[in-house]
Amino acid sequence: MPGPHFVVIGNGPAGNEAALTLREKAPDARVTIITRNLGGSYRPHLIPEFIAGNIPEKGLFAVTPDTYTEKNIKFRHGQRVVDLDPEKKTLTLDHKEVIPFDGVIIAVGGMPRIPEYLKVFEHSMLTLKTMEDARRWISTLAETDSVLLIGGDLTSLAVTKALLSLGKKIYFMLTEHAFWPLRPDEALFAEVSDRLACKGVDVISGKTLEGLASTSENSFIVRFDDRRELEVGMIGAFFGLAPDIGFLRRSGIRMDRGLLVDEYLCTGFEGVYATGDCAQIYHPELRDYWVSIGYANAEVLGRTAANNLLGGKDQTAVAAESIFEAEGINVNTSWWMEF
Amino acid sequence: MPHVDLTIEICGMSGDGTIAAGALLNGALSRAGFSLMAFDSYPAEIRGFGRCVTRTRVGVEEMVALTSETHVLISLDDEQSLSRIPFLARSATVFFDNRPPSYVPEGQSIAAHVEPHITLLGIPFGNLAAEATGTTRGRNLTALGAFAGAFDLPSEPFHEVIRKKFDPKGEKVAQANIKSFDAGVQYAREKLDPSIRGILSLPQKTMEKDDRELLSGNMAIARGALDAGLKLYFGYPITPATPIMEYLAKVLPERGGRLLQMEDEISSIGAVLGSFYAGSRAMTATSGPGLSLMTELITHGVMAEIPAVIIDAQRGGPATGLPTKSEQSDLHAAVFGGPGDSARIVIAPTNVSECYEYTVKSFQLAEKYQTPVIVLTDFFLDNRVENVSMPHAAPEEISDGNVYPDPALKGHYRRFERTESGISPRSIPGMEGFIFTTTGLEHTEKGIPDYAPQNHMQMSEKRHRKITGALAELPVPKEFSQKESLDVGVIAWGSTFGSALEAVRKAEKKGIRAGALKITSIFPYHADSIRGFMERCGEILIPELNYEGQLANLIGHLFGKEVTRLNRVTGEPFPASIILKKIESLVT
Repeated sequence: MPGPHFVVIGNGPAGNEAALTLREKAPDARVTIITRNLGGSYRPHLIPEFIAGNIPEKGLFAVTPDTYTEKNIKFRHGQRVVDLDPEKKTLTLDHKEVIPFDGVIIAVGGMPRIPEYLKVFEHSMLTLKTMEDARRWISTLAETDSVLLIGGDLTSLAVTKALLSLGKKIYFMLTEHAFWPLRPDEALFAEVSDRLACKGVDVISGKTLEGLASTSENSFIVRFDDRRELEVGMIGAFFGLAPDIGFLRRSGIRMDRGLLVDEYLCTGFEGVYATGDCAQIYHPELRDYWVSIGYANAEVLGRTAANNLLGGKDQTAVAAESIFEAEGINVNTSWWMEF
Repeated sequence: MPHVDLTIEICGMSGDGTIAAGALLNGALSRAGFSLMAFDSYPAEIRGFGRCVTRTRVGVEEMVALTSETHVLISLDDEQSLSRIPFLARSATVFFDNRPPSYVPEGQSIAAHVEPHITLLGIPFGNLAAEATGTTRGRNLTALGAFAGAFDLPSEPFHEVIRKKFDPKGEKVAQANIKSFDAGVQYAREKLDPSIRGILSLPQKTMEKDDRELLSGNMAIARGALDAGLKLYFGYPITPATPIMEYLAKVLPERGGRLLQMEDEISSIGAVLGSFYAGSRAMTATSGPGLSLMTELITHGVMAEIPAVIIDAQRGGPATGLPTKSEQSDLHAAVFGGPGDSARIVIAPTNVSECYEYTVKSFQLAEKYQTPVIVLTDFFLDNRVENVSMPHAAPEEISDGNVYPDPALKGHYRRFERTESGISPRSIPGMEGFIFTTTGLEHTEKGIPDYAPQNHMQMSEKRHRKITGALAELPVPKEFSQKESLDVGVIAWGSTFGSALEAVRKAEKKGIRAGALKITSIFPYHADSIRGFMERCGEILIPELNYEGQLANLIGHLFGKEVTRLNRVTGEPFPASIILKKIESLVT
């Protein structure tokens, strides 16, 4: 009798770890990873270093497609899940293939988020999430000397360091959305501004972007609400990631901004788990949901989801106040209650 | 200029337009300046259910064989294409229709089976074609467009070949097909990751017109026959020879000739012998089952010394065998088939250019040596397409090959005179003063039946002397090697020679002292040349697409020891990789 079929959707840090755990702990099971991205599982936090040329592309990958083959994990990349029926236990791919499963772990992560008021300028801004994004950054940077960074999430600070090492002139527009979904206080805001300025970054704060005009392929005129204008070669947008869960709207799985799961990462449907950046996790003490960000946390969550899918009862280990370090700045995470 | 050597496959079900898409791809790539070799495989049934696959090897250098690996697979039917997955190269790209008409269970999409290192590109072929033209009929063109768009190939050559194919059906049809193609191009350029582009870089002479033509072996044979002055064609349809007849049915009458479909192969060869007897160049084309029916009359041509040109397009056998598969198993039948000692000339081209060249040559040989000449081809050679610099026969190559009698002998003519060469001056019926009788019975120099022991001895010797003498005009074996002394010599014939040459070149790159010998004169054969090559080789390898090793049976005795036979009857062209592997095993 064939073993159960476990499917992991997404191969970011959480999904990759979940699949490897399932493989290790359920050797008779059929394990499948389905991801819309191409290639193996990469370490997103190293992408800025890749852009700076400090590590080669292959150094980004935690797991290559061949590793999945060696571990007897079916790896379907470049394939998108468009529907999931948690009761019938089937999921449907973009190319109309219907796949039955005994258990599924949803670890789709997030997509770069652009605030609504900036959507009109979206086509002129580069985001940075995928390998394809990274390659676009590298090719664009080769043609320009100045960069405007808007927003200010954790990735943007690492990108700033990379761009400085490349000798680029950086303008950093810190907005009220900086560190979203975290909530920086004024002290942190000031500390970030000072540190950036010390490194030669031209910090723009307290201003609103009003207009954007492209004068050529690698030249933009940016206009602020104080009528000041700035000419730059490219613009990067860093407003954090929003869970990429639109395809589950008809599934019946409860969702807010992320997928709502209990402390065991279960969606409430037997055998259907969510983990990583796309999950909002219930905290029994707080009686509310929280979200985790960061590479290391994602791996822990992936492992936890896999253990629980296999019958475990692991609660997600989280300290009340986790701390991330980014470019020498300690950033406090906060409960993600405003979602 | 970047090195380009890719194999592109299109796979679908009968009715998907697979073969048509492959032909358009070949035409466009040829116009774009690439060298190519292409081969289609399709079911034996005329229409119905079955897998169709077109394979195109494209590059900038001359292609001598197909490869076993596929670098780009365009799937028009996933269920059929699953069988092609084992042949995908590690870095392959697969195009498939990601909007099939209905939902499919797990495993029925090709997406479920490709290995992770393969680039999978889902394109809604049917939907795009429907949006562009109102019907999904053009989805094969959309798939082709997606391929062109993904690899940044210019659309112009594709537009040209689409127009050439569909203009005769009207502007509306041509436009619809161009729209379907363009929809694929646009989708690929807008939606696909640009990083996959650039695999197919164009040669520098892109779009420059050269004298190369896209031609199959069958078409080259038909063109060769026409250029040689073919006047009459008689035949009975049979795969894989039928395209010769189809082409000639259209073109031969335009050139003042006539084509007649006969009731069977026996009457076909009878009519060919009759035509030549009367002085008109004639030809028939058949395959193994037809050749066996012709056998008795071929020997009649040998005995009565009447020319004939017979194309034997070999397919899988025996009997009805494998009509749409490749095999080289008629050699014994072509050389030895028939009662009595009935030596005849048998030649075997190895590529499309030689199909033309040797067909032209066969008419002169048949006339001069007054004997049936069999041109042995095979399914792969007949149907594969190459873009070749088309040879044009020189006047001396197509001139009358007959050796006519000395006018001084008028009234004293001996039709079957035993000359030193064995060639008896030939009279055409109606030549005043050169009347003769002819018969399938053994006969005297004057053609009178005579069973006397001495006469039969002398006439048999004369007929064989004539055939042996023809060797001087038959193409000599051609050697391809870099070294004087070789560890392994590979001797091959027909379509297998290209694979042998490719294997030898790869072996040389690996430091193995290997060489290839191409044999096109099957009978009589150049024993001295072959022996000379063999003496310089440590081992002789003879790969053939037959089970019995028929060429090895014929020439193997020339080697001082046993030759190594490598025989396959899979129905597929001989893979160079298998020959290479055998070469390597012989030197270790």
